[in-house]
Amino acid sequence: MTARVTGRITRRRATLLATVAAGVAVVVALLATGLGRDPSAVASPLVGRMAPNFTLPQLDGQPVTLSKLRGQVVVINFWASWCTECQTEQAALNQTWQQFQDSGVVVLGVNFEDSTGAARDYVRSDSVTYPVVEDAASHTALSYGLRGVPETFVVSRSGRIVSHVIGPVDTTALSNEISAMLPGSQ
Amino acid sequence: MNALPLARGRAGGAGLVVLAALAAAVITLAVVAVTGKAPASQAQQVQQIAAGLHCPICKDLSVADSPATLAQQMRQQIAQEVSAGESPDQIRAGFVAAYGDSVLMSPPRRGLAGTAYFLPALVLLAGLIAAGALLRRWLRTPRADPAAADSGPPLSAAQRRAVARAVARLREEEPG
Repeated sequence: MTARVTGRITRRRATLLATVAAGVAVVVALLATGLGRDPSAVASPLVGRMAPNFTLPQLDGQPVTLSKLRGQVVVINFWASWCTECQTEQAALNQTWQQFQDSGVVVLGVNFEDSTGAARDYVRSDSVTYPVVEDAASHTALSYGLRGVPETFVVSRSGRIVSHVIGPVDTTALSNEISAMLPGSQ
Repeated sequence: MNALPLARGRAGGAGLVVLAALAAAVITLAVVAVTGKAPASQAQQVQQIAAGLHCPICKDLSVADSPATLAQQMRQQIAQEVSAGESPDQIRAGFVAAYGDSVLMSPPRRGLAGTAYFLPALVLLAGLIAAGALLRRWLRTPRADPAAADSGPPLSAAQRRAVARAVARLREEEPG
């Protein structure tokens, strides 16, 4: 009788301990997942969706409409003249434009939180060869969920956002991604 | 001769003004009674929507409180959308589409984030149940009698008889 009671108590204690341990394990797992994540590197919910359309003026005043570029791969790069990391990736963007501009690829710089004069000076001094548009009221930046510069979105020929890069782009990674999206690639 | 009709006309006009003012007050009160609060002005609507959105480049500031340029631009966009007749839900949905749920100051009531609303209540309920069960068990357990603990184990009949005999003998030996 005593042995049976003792056995029952032991079993009950074991169940209680297992429940508490399971709860602690769940909390620890949630904390480990959350703490291991970089809070600044939030994945864009736009990846996989249609790119928000925009019509913005180039620095010379000529408008560019994204939807009119349908059928081409578009690399949208948000940048500013005051952004040091934008200068870091400048060579990569120029190289990408030179490599793919005759293959149905458009590199488009979108100037963010900047003055027209500063943007023009930057384009001239840093030899930016691809088209640059101004987003004066930041409507386009907000519709792309921009958190800072530089940020780059790669838009497929069908107008869907396929990737989002926070920080400077890597020439090789960008080149490989574009190559995979061009006709004739596997 | 003309003074009386003029006075009547003035009195009638004043009465209409009073009636119109009363009607306006009644309508306002009815709106307040139905909605629970006075209709918000456009600036108040912008402030309310901005206060519910997290500034994407700030640590812990809402779009309403942040001095960042991006937050200012978000406030301007909210104002334009409010002017265009968009509802607060539509405006919030636009920002969520671009930034994700993290742009909301309060987590949404769906998905994993929705657990934030019912989990504390669930944990509290589990704690109350556990405390109740412990209290019930504690009340059912018979408490030990300190006096009984001091007196030791109960005596057998033979032992009681021996004690009685010893006491009687001691009394007989006592003088007087």
